[in-house]
Amino acid sequence: MTLRAQLSILAVLGVLLAALGTTLLLSSDMRDTSAWALASPFMMLSFIGVGLFAWWRRPHSGFGALMTAVGFVFFLSAPAASDAPALYGLGYLFGSLFLGTVVHMLLAFPEGRLDGRRERWLVGSVYGLVLGVNLVLLLLNGPLEDQAHPRNAYVVWDATGVAKVVLGIAEGLAVVLAAAVIATMVRRWRAASAPERRSLGPVLWTGAGLILGVGISLGLDLVGAGDTVAMVPDLVALACLLALPYVFLVGLGRRRWFRAGAIGSLIQRLSAAHRQGSVREALAEALGDPSLRLLYWLPRDQRYVDLEGRAVELPDAESGRGVTEVRAEGRRIAALVHDAALLDDPDLVEAAGAAASLALENERLGAELRARVEELEQSRAGIIAFGLAERRRFERDLHDGAQQRLVALGLQVGMARSKLREDPARAEGLLDGAREELRQAQQELRELARGLHPAVLTERGLAAAIAGLVERATVPVEVRAMPPERLPSAVETVAYFVVAEGLTNVAKYAGARHASVAVERINGHAVVEVRDDGVGGADPAVGSGLRGLADRVGAVDGRLEIVSPPGAGTVVRARIPCASS
Amino acid sequence: MAKTVLIVDDHPSFRATARMLLEAEGYDVVGEAPDGHSGLECAMRLSPQVVLLDVNLPDLDGFAVAARLTADDVVGPPEVVLISSRDGSDYGPLVLASGARGFIPKGELSGEALEAVLA
Repeated sequence: MTLRAQLSILAVLGVLLAALGTTLLLSSDMRDTSAWALASPFMMLSFIGVGLFAWWRRPHSGFGALMTAVGFVFFLSAPAASDAPALYGLGYLFGSLFLGTVVHMLLAFPEGRLDGRRERWLVGSVYGLVLGVNLVLLLLNGPLEDQAHPRNAYVVWDATGVAKVVLGIAEGLAVVLAAAVIATMVRRWRAASAPERRSLGPVLWTGAGLILGVGISLGLDLVGAGDTVAMVPDLVALACLLALPYVFLVGLGRRRWFRAGAIGSLIQRLSAAHRQGSVREALAEALGDPSLRLLYWLPRDQRYVDLEGRAVELPDAESGRGVTEVRAEGRRIAALVHDAALLDDPDLVEAAGAAASLALENERLGAELRARVEELEQSRAGIIAFGLAERRRFERDLHDGAQQRLVALGLQVGMARSKLREDPARAEGLLDGAREELRQAQQELRELARGLHPAVLTERGLAAAIAGLVERATVPVEVRAMPPERLPSAVETVAYFVVAEGLTNVAKYAGARHASVAVERINGHAVVEVRDDGVGGADPAVGSGLRGLADRVGAVDGRLEIVSPPGAGTVVRARIPCASS
Repeated sequence: MAKTVLIVDDHPSFRATARMLLEAEGYDVVGEAPDGHSGLECAMRLSPQVVLLDVNLPDLDGFAVAARLTADDVVGPPEVVLISSRDGSDYGPLVLASGARGFIPKGELSGEALEAVLA
């Protein structure tokens, strides 16, 4: 059954019960003609009608259901109009229960749930008191009320004196509870942000008027003031109770009116917003939320940044902040991080976001540019540091490798020369050693030169250069894909080093049995991938090789991605922009 | 009597060649060490007359090792000759300041060159 159907059934039930209550009231011989009794069916219908409307508008909030419940609880007091003693007693028992539901509704406003222990305790106490005192008065034959009524059918101990004492204590407790409820409402108001106050205001203050009226009326009763004096706060309480559902409706209308005004002035302010940050100020003012933050979406990086282009995370659910996404033509452009109270009025936030979407898109582009500049600066610094480290490494490799070989070679040739005449066999052995040193020096120089820039890459292209890397690899490597045409020189160079570093890592750390390499052109990008079936767990933050590689890829506007879950192999993937030539 | 020599260098191929060369020239190579710490330990244990000491060692700086070997509190300190595949001009006055007797580029090592430095 749809929510609409369920709410319709409740509406019909409400009307029927109100009619039944009115019939009971009108047909009673001992007619209660007090204002409260006469207003009862009207209040019942008001609370049920407005409550169902609120329930329908915001099905996930419990507030509509609570307001509807207040209406139905009113009906529980209707049997008090009956001439039948048993029915009258039941009506009397539940006659004040509505006060419990109203306090519950007020303290649960606007979300429909009680947040703190203190609130739950308070509401529980009010329910307990309004039911408990009436039960005691019924059982002990207490003074039920001033109006004429049938006899009390539930007396178990005729102790009117004791019942009067209980009534006095209960009235005192009720005054204390009323004060505690008002104090809680005032505290909520003081702790509320501007948007929260806008939403809490009308209902909270009318509710406070009701509780105050009830409290003063009970207090006056307690000190024995006359009925005429007590009538004033009593009528104030009744007026507030009657007004409560309509004040809620006025609040909704006020919100709509506020929304129209806020969006109008927002558009005006945005047209004059040329300074950096002025869009935020305009939106903050329109939403009445000075704590508003704007985050801008970078689709390429799939992350949010602030206006300065610095990466920012969205607040989590426990932070007490609300997040509303702003989209333009189906694309996400920004997120408004605002006071969670604004989630009560999503239409306002969405309308403000939509009105500011053009200005937000402009600021988004600026933020994206700043993020890119920051990224490039970091990448440039990384490239310089990487270059210096590489030069140091080359110097060390030359010193420890070829240079040592050449030193040994020189010494051996010198010794061979001195032995040439007196010991030709020894000289021959020394020259053999020298030739081996020379061969190894050549090999090491070739490796070094290849590390600087592989000549085969320039002369024969990426496929040939990668074929060389594959041939020298320590594990079998399958070449899965290779572009048929030459790529721009800078792209080929970076792609080559991605594969070279990837295969070096396979040999050094992966413990793999097999690896594969692929270079493909996809959507204007060269996608370079080195995949192995090794131990995984590669961390770019640890090794300088992958970090340097990320900078190298970043320098040509590309992105390096390492997927390396422990025990499940490693994928090194670079996406390098590569427009068709 | 042949002079006793300790070779401290991290490249095994150089140590082997230097040993061969110096022994052929009448020196007595009493030990080899691949780094600064083991070089200091060998020098204490073997008391060589000459220590042929590489400037670039994996653990300690060759100049620091030379300074320790020739410090005032060392009884009968060895003659330290620094060697490197780099040129001596790269190091300037550091060589003599370390307490070493001199410097020989590795490629020019010979009994004659060693004799000239020790003279």
